[in-house]
Amino acid sequence: MAINLTKGQTIDLRKNDKGETFDLSQVTIGLGWDVRQKGGGGFLGKLFGGAQEEEYDLDAIGFLLNEQGKIANMGRQFTNSNGRQVNMYEGDVIYFNSMRHPSGHIWLTGDNRTGAGDGDDEQIIVKLDSLAPTFDRIVFVVSIYQGRKNNQHFGMIENAFIRAVDRSGKEIARFSLSGDATFNGMCSMTFAEVYRKDGTWKFRALGEPHPTDNFVELLGKYR
Amino acid sequence: MAINLQKGQRIDIGLSKISLGLGWNPHEGTGYDFDLDASAIMIDQNRVIPEEEYFIFYGNTDSPDGALHHSGDDPTGGNSDGGDDETISVDLAKVDGRVNEILFVVTIHEAAARRQNFGQVRDSYIRIVDDMTGQEIAKYELGEDFSIETGVEFGRLYKKDNHWKFEASGLGYREDLAYFLAKYYKGQIIK
Repeated sequence: MAINLTKGQTIDLRKNDKGETFDLSQVTIGLGWDVRQKGGGGFLGKLFGGAQEEEYDLDAIGFLLNEQGKIANMGRQFTNSNGRQVNMYEGDVIYFNSMRHPSGHIWLTGDNRTGAGDGDDEQIIVKLDSLAPTFDRIVFVVSIYQGRKNNQHFGMIENAFIRAVDRSGKEIARFSLSGDATFNGMCSMTFAEVYRKDGTWKFRALGEPHPTDNFVELLGKYR
Repeated sequence: MAINLQKGQRIDIGLSKISLGLGWNPHEGTGYDFDLDASAIMIDQNRVIPEEEYFIFYGNTDSPDGALHHSGDDPTGGNSDGGDDETISVDLAKVDGRVNEILFVVTIHEAAARRQNFGQVRDSYIRIVDDMTGQEIAKYELGEDFSIETGVEFGRLYKKDNHWKFEASGLGYREDLAYFLAKYYKGQIIK
């Protein structure tokens, strides 16, 4: 748990400080990052392959919350085509085992990188204007899959950013979420949230780190 | 008529509605804006906030019990001309039963990076007003009273025998908001 005292991170999604307006019929929340190379670099290191770039598997997750700040529908159990049991299928949690919300208005693109998402490593696309009024807030979480086991954490990640892009591809907002010693040992992060306020949607970058690498442990707060 | 409390002086409030008002005037030079923040920390018998949402500041404007409401962040002091720029309204009848103290602090955002202190801010004050009578209970002129400081513990409302009292603390510190919060919150604070 954390309290974030940083400022200037809330913006109105409908217009920016230059007064430009945006088309919120579809908003792409894009996450991107670079992985810091572990030690053993330098010329000799490269010669002997000491600076192998590690594989990181980061997952973007979206929680749809109602006005009480809770997830109304936790989904159901489902056996997928590989015969694997999947929980939380087709509920209000958007993640790798349940990539599309039943309403069809919010989905995770997986590793599909379209033109609009240049530089994004993961994307969640949401038709904010089409979402049922019962959805009041969407929280975006990123976790490092099996980060605990692999000794990977957000302190190793550089140039992490979250951004919002409107339907026409115009970038509404972009926040940097990197380079902080407090991220050492942290395997997941509440990246940002969009929420309704005064008839429009607002976007807030949070950058709240958590030690767990399993986003399910973060659900407690929203149930 | 303003009753200006001396430091440490206490006054009976009862169960009424009161407001904390913070006012200052914008910077007229070319330097950084002065960004003052009013915050309230709702404290339980263990001397901590019962939940994160009981810390009221620019990033969390309403307490879950509906007792406190923050008017929102004014990053420059330009909200009003001479009046309150940030207010926290308090309805003591609604305060969650776990909370027996509400501490009010004022801090200058990014004071260290911008090399600012209250002495540089024009016409800055913090006051508490009884909304029932409109009477000012206590007021400090920040620039006069805390010229070299960057954070002020203004005062605290505390419950005694189901009755609320206000004590003016008037303690200045060369610290930021995280310093005050850390006294009453053991979780992580992101600055």
